[in-house]
Amino acid sequence: MARRILEAVEATKVYRAGALETRALDAVSIAIEGGEFSALCGPSGSGKTTLLNLLGTLDRPTSGRILVDGEDTTEMGEAARAELRLRKLGFVFQSYNLVPVLSAVENVEFVLLLQGLPRAERRARALRYLDELGLGELAHKRPGEMSGGQQQRVAVARAIASEPEIVLADEPTANLDSKTAEDLLHLMLRMNQDRGVTFLFSTHDPRVMAHARRIVRLVDGKIASDELRSP
Amino acid sequence: MGTLLVIAWRNLLRGWRRSAVVMLAITVGLSACLLMVGWSHGLLRQMIDNAVSTRLGHLAVLAHDYQKNPDVQRNLPDGGRAIVAELERFPGAHASARIVGDGLLQSARRSSRVVLVGVDPMREARVSTVSRALIEGRMPLAVVTTGSRRLPGMAIGAAMAERLRVKVGDKVVVHAPGEVGLGAYRVSGIFRTSSSEFDRSHAYLRIEDAQRLLSVPDRVTEVAVLLDDPDRLPEFQAFATSALAAALPDAAPDVLTWKEREPRLAAMLGLMADLTWIIYGAVFVAMAFGIANALLMMVYERIREFGMLRALGLQSSRLLALVLLESIVMTVFGTLIGLAVGLPIVLWLGHVGIDLTSFANDLTEFGIGTTVYTRIELRDVLLPVVVALVTAVLAALWPAWKAVRLRPAEAIRHI
Repeated sequence: MARRILEAVEATKVYRAGALETRALDAVSIAIEGGEFSALCGPSGSGKTTLLNLLGTLDRPTSGRILVDGEDTTEMGEAARAELRLRKLGFVFQSYNLVPVLSAVENVEFVLLLQGLPRAERRARALRYLDELGLGELAHKRPGEMSGGQQQRVAVARAIASEPEIVLADEPTANLDSKTAEDLLHLMLRMNQDRGVTFLFSTHDPRVMAHARRIVRLVDGKIASDELRSP
Repeated sequence: MGTLLVIAWRNLLRGWRRSAVVMLAITVGLSACLLMVGWSHGLLRQMIDNAVSTRLGHLAVLAHDYQKNPDVQRNLPDGGRAIVAELERFPGAHASARIVGDGLLQSARRSSRVVLVGVDPMREARVSTVSRALIEGRMPLAVVTTGSRRLPGMAIGAAMAERLRVKVGDKVVVHAPGEVGLGAYRVSGIFRTSSSEFDRSHAYLRIEDAQRLLSVPDRVTEVAVLLDDPDRLPEFQAFATSALAAALPDAAPDVLTWKEREPRLAAMLGLMADLTWIIYGAVFVAMAFGIANALLMMVYERIREFGMLRALGLQSSRLLALVLLESIVMTVFGTLIGLAVGLPIVLWLGHVGIDLTSFANDLTEFGIGTTVYTRIELRDVLLPVVVALVTAVLAALWPAWKAVRLRPAEAIRHI
């Protein structure tokens, strides 16, 4: 049985705006195991991004628990959660979210720097991952000099270069054209198959769903279905 | 820290217009600060230097309690010669004995209250600049012959000469307390120092003439000393006190520095130090708002970036450092440019001076002169650099705190 990397136990998230309460997630329990290539799907407002944020310790549940690699994060302080994200989680965001003043290789290196890797090692590792993702020639370009697809590939390189337990990707293909999105998905799939990198997507992109081997459907903050598919 | 510094630097370049405006504000503010402080110090220094070089000396030996009750009967024996000899044993010390008393100076037309200063003109020239301020004639001579009467000489200030409507060679009469109490003199010279108040009130006689007039033969009220190296004043005061206590055990004179003789002038030095802080404070508070505003804008523009960095695992302390670094880098550059612009101007004005002839009357009332030479000291340069950096950190704390308080999940989705 594979190791449980992420786990939500009866996780509920309620947003409050004055007297108005919105229950974005309602007692959701889910476990993500090593090696998965899974997608959280559902219409807008179904709670998929909220669940991804909770699993990624970017937000705290109103009730319930979030476990990362078996460790309960519910009562953790911000510093400990940041350290946990740095060591065990990788992120790919919808809007690429690279540091605009750093080159591609510096962006990838940045997380390695935070992890405390020596300069030579982090530079070598960053270049290796950029090469692997076909970005070797763009290593010294800044985000503003790259296309959306190239930026997103740099974001993937950044996410996997830190060698996390899992990469959480929030709508990674939303801003990309079909061809670029397909290329990116193949890339991530290859990372999953060749390197065993675990991926969890939040998406409503059918192209992502088509490649996912597990699809968790959320409706109104609850899991409506959890479907395993053969590769 | 290196990468954070790189990010800070590149972000400043990325928002170069905003950075340039803030740096320009720092540059102008700092240059203005240096100029104002240089001007104030120059002004005060000139006031002090002029007072020291005309009447106070760096140090003076006075009869006991003369400072509290300046009466000509409180005096020093032996014409002050023993004291002068003792004091001049100190290297670079020049001493001159004076007898100082009040009187009334009268010309054919008018009269005026006067401070009579009896001196040995040769010795006095080494202690006081009055002889160099002569615009006409000479310091008091033994005898001045004009027309039929031979009278002892007296040098008076230009303002006094104008008031009495006298010129060199004219006769004046002095009334003074004492048994003699009356004497006729001839104006031997007219001086104009940088203090119109001094010129309006002081008259110089030969020491023998003054002693006779004030009925205190071979007595002096003070021995003034000018040092080649004013920085040695504390050392000299200690020397003078012990030397005179040994040499003149019965006289027990007071040994006072110029600050002790003119506490108000000394207090102005303290006031100037406070004023320097007020000037810097005003400029840097304004600067702090500029920096805080620019950084707040920067934080709001980069909410998503900061959220992403937090999501990746950047500790809040490092995010805090990043924002502070941007403020510090911006301020350091602004400060360096400010020093590069302001310092040469202040140094140049310290060399050529600022001609204020049109305000001359007002300035000479304060004993300053018509040209003000700006003066800047190392601490005046270092202080604003330190204050600027502290300001940069303080001004950045609020924006930095805002950045740190961002919740990654919300910040990432910020539009």
